[in-house]
Amino acid sequence: MGKWTRRAFIAGGGLAGVGLIVGIGGNMYLNKAIKKYSGKGMGDGASLNAWVRIAPDNTITMAVPRAEMGQGVYTALPMLLAEELEVDMNQIEIVHPQPESPYANTFLLDPNPRKAYASYSMMAKVASFLPVVGTGGSTSVKDLYDHLREMGATAREALIAAAAEKWGVKASDCYAESAHVINKKTKEKLSYGSLAEVAATVELDFNPPLKEQKDFKLLGKRIQRLDIPEKVTGTAQFGIDARPEGMLVAAIRHASYVGGTVNGVSNIEEVEKMRGVKKVVLLEDGLGAAVVADNTWRAKNAALALDLEEEANSLENISSSDISKMLGDIIADDSKMIGKPEGHGDVAAALGGDAKVVEASYEVPYLSQCTMEPLNCTMVINGDQCEVWVGHQGGSLVRDAVNAVTAIPKDNIKVNITYLGGGFGRRAELDFVKKAAMVAKQMEGTPIQLVFTREEDMKNGMYRPAVASTFKGTVGADGMIDAWDNKMALQSVGYSSMMRIMPAMAEPPEKDPQSAEGAIELPYARNNVSVQFGELELPALQVGNWRSVGASQNGFFTESFMDEMAHAAGQDPYEFRKKHMEKSDLPDADRYLAVLNKVASMANWSTPLAEGKSRGIAILKSFGSIVGQVAEVTKLGDKQIKIDKVYCVIDCGRIVNPDTIEAQMQSGIVYGLSAALFGEITMTEGQIDQQNFPQYEMVRMNTSPTVEVHIMEVDAYPGGVGEPATPPAAPAVVNAIFAATGDRVRSLPLMKHGYTFA
Amino acid sequence: MELKINGQVKQVDVEDNMPLLWVLRDELNMTGTKYGCGVSSCGACTVMIDGVATRTCTLPAASAAGKDIKTIEGVAESGNLSAVQKAWIQHQVPQCGYCQSGQIMVAEALLDSNPSPTDEDIDAAMTNICRCGTYQRVRSAIHTAAKWRADETTLPG
Repeated sequence: MGKWTRRAFIAGGGLAGVGLIVGIGGNMYLNKAIKKYSGKGMGDGASLNAWVRIAPDNTITMAVPRAEMGQGVYTALPMLLAEELEVDMNQIEIVHPQPESPYANTFLLDPNPRKAYASYSMMAKVASFLPVVGTGGSTSVKDLYDHLREMGATAREALIAAAAEKWGVKASDCYAESAHVINKKTKEKLSYGSLAEVAATVELDFNPPLKEQKDFKLLGKRIQRLDIPEKVTGTAQFGIDARPEGMLVAAIRHASYVGGTVNGVSNIEEVEKMRGVKKVVLLEDGLGAAVVADNTWRAKNAALALDLEEEANSLENISSSDISKMLGDIIADDSKMIGKPEGHGDVAAALGGDAKVVEASYEVPYLSQCTMEPLNCTMVINGDQCEVWVGHQGGSLVRDAVNAVTAIPKDNIKVNITYLGGGFGRRAELDFVKKAAMVAKQMEGTPIQLVFTREEDMKNGMYRPAVASTFKGTVGADGMIDAWDNKMALQSVGYSSMMRIMPAMAEPPEKDPQSAEGAIELPYARNNVSVQFGELELPALQVGNWRSVGASQNGFFTESFMDEMAHAAGQDPYEFRKKHMEKSDLPDADRYLAVLNKVASMANWSTPLAEGKSRGIAILKSFGSIVGQVAEVTKLGDKQIKIDKVYCVIDCGRIVNPDTIEAQMQSGIVYGLSAALFGEITMTEGQIDQQNFPQYEMVRMNTSPTVEVHIMEVDAYPGGVGEPATPPAAPAVVNAIFAATGDRVRSLPLMKHGYTFA
Repeated sequence: MELKINGQVKQVDVEDNMPLLWVLRDELNMTGTKYGCGVSSCGACTVMIDGVATRTCTLPAASAAGKDIKTIEGVAESGNLSAVQKAWIQHQVPQCGYCQSGQIMVAEALLDSNPSPTDEDIDAAMTNICRCGTYQRVRSAIHTAAKWRADETTLPG
């Protein structure tokens, strides 16, 4: 382990050469110069680094620059810091800081663990100098698992050094516990609060070692979430609850046609006479019209009364059935297969052999993220100053977007990230932020809360794309898969969303890794494999990140087809997967196997179920974690199904908060089942058919299965937990329905095939 | 218009047909009650009116005049959380938390009318949407709250 010198710190302290800081001083964010960032909104006291500030009354304030959207990040990240800092969870106050460089999510651009004790990679530097402060891709813990513990450890050692100096003893004669430094010999105690000011001036000349797993006090334990008390009293503040003094509400109307424009409003005078209405505002670039009023209901009614002068666009004559045909045409045309993310052996030759070819074509529809809290953003502009209140997955992206619309300098834009009433990828988008800025600009001096009604939210999606996927496969005489040929057609989520969010970083569709995630690097030994995809170009219909992204559809496709192959080979679906895993040469094939075996044993796979009940199994790795599920269903009648239970096993490496992991498994499964059973966004001649929840139903209490979760104990770097439970849910249930009925459902949602659920 | 909310009488000057939800949120700044759909489908806006769980996004405020309105802000009495709220914490129910005010109001009303509900009773009463899928924990928390309400000596402090 390299040692730091005072000289290195001094060299790094100047702003002259950014490369110099990293090159000489190890990681720039242990540098004193960065402490200034923690000053913003972090309360009283002294900053030990950008993440921790300690007040004289021993209040420990921690920066949590990731969005709390239900996944428990406001507890998980403080746990990482607190573990090494030696403070108790109830001593912590959380602040969501401004989106500054120390808080960049470098994992988003460079998916490798980040260490405070080491230099950054080039991409990680880019991510932090931009800076990209964002929450998504199940990355928060993966990005910060080492970094935050190192931040906690260096802060703790600085506090110990300050106490040792005060007592005139060696640091090794002291230890830290519950926000105090204790003198081993005299048992004297000094609170962190009394030491913080001196500790903030201490420069360590060594990298404190991190605790071994066996010594953890918090990590791996069921810790109560810090955000829950205010979520049971109605006091938690979501973006839509922002109420700055003098705030008015703006309700937006978008064009009726997807991607269409609003060029004018023919009855502005009339609408402006309605009660409470202050102004009708036309947005730039035909993006819509908004009514500013003193109450959301009045604004919404007035917006509905607007007579819009609209223009449709290229989608005017396109319906979902046309898109379905376009996807099929792409798959049928080899020249359209632009992405070839995996291939080995000779698939064509293998398919041309004697073995019977198993063929299957699958399709899934567009989906809306449908966050529980409709999209909204509150903003006030005063000259060259701006303040924003918004539940958003990317604080830095919000600031960049407001800057792009208003030209207000980024340093003058204060971004208050509130709780998110769900994110699921939709709150990584900037459309609602930019539109709020467009309205606020025209209402200078007045705080504006722009609200999408549920209807506007649903029809202006950045949807999970509709995807078609076809397979051809053969099983050899040895009962093992010989050929696996998979072709997909879809719009590129990576390209579409990055062009909106960070165009400079956008990769072309053929390089979009998200298109094939869940379709490649499968844990199954196969002699000949080809996985390819083609791009459907339909830019007016925007696609975006939807919880688990590409894995959300590919998990359904690949794990359904594995079942079909097992059936064609006359083998048990679990045993068939198992033997292909046993021969797999993936580096983590043994981890897959352990998950598969565990979930099968939990579900008593080999024990027959009662008459009318059946099981289905599915397993997929996504976002660094392997999740296996067995669904147990009862056939109540012709096409009437009850999903009784889902057994779920996750290997996410090291465990931070097991209670949160369990909750995310339950959550991810329900989210996946809502899509599998009911979810479908369709378009008829350029207009979205679904308006509100009654046309976009989801799993509710009566259709929600009991989920039993097991978390594997594996000493490996942590994987994500927010998304990986979603992909296996649909195939596990569809495979169970096949086992119960013999009906192989190859397109979702199940509702469309006449299924009902109890 | 005069409304009695959490035991307090409030005067508001609004249209008779303004939904109670928007009177609460925008006229009285009581933001604990949430807007989810505006068509009485999701239940995020649920409050208790004369003890009955009621979706307020389509309920004209005038129809609630003269009745006892109880919102999430009125569930804890002088700072003491209710058995339902404590059970919600015990079972770590909320995730994003946005729908939970509504879920809790329905659960309170359910337990007031049915002190020991079965799973079927819970299925029938708890029809609110939770996009995070906290249903399993909601169910467990309702059973726990039912026990605590039945014997207050078991209620955690």
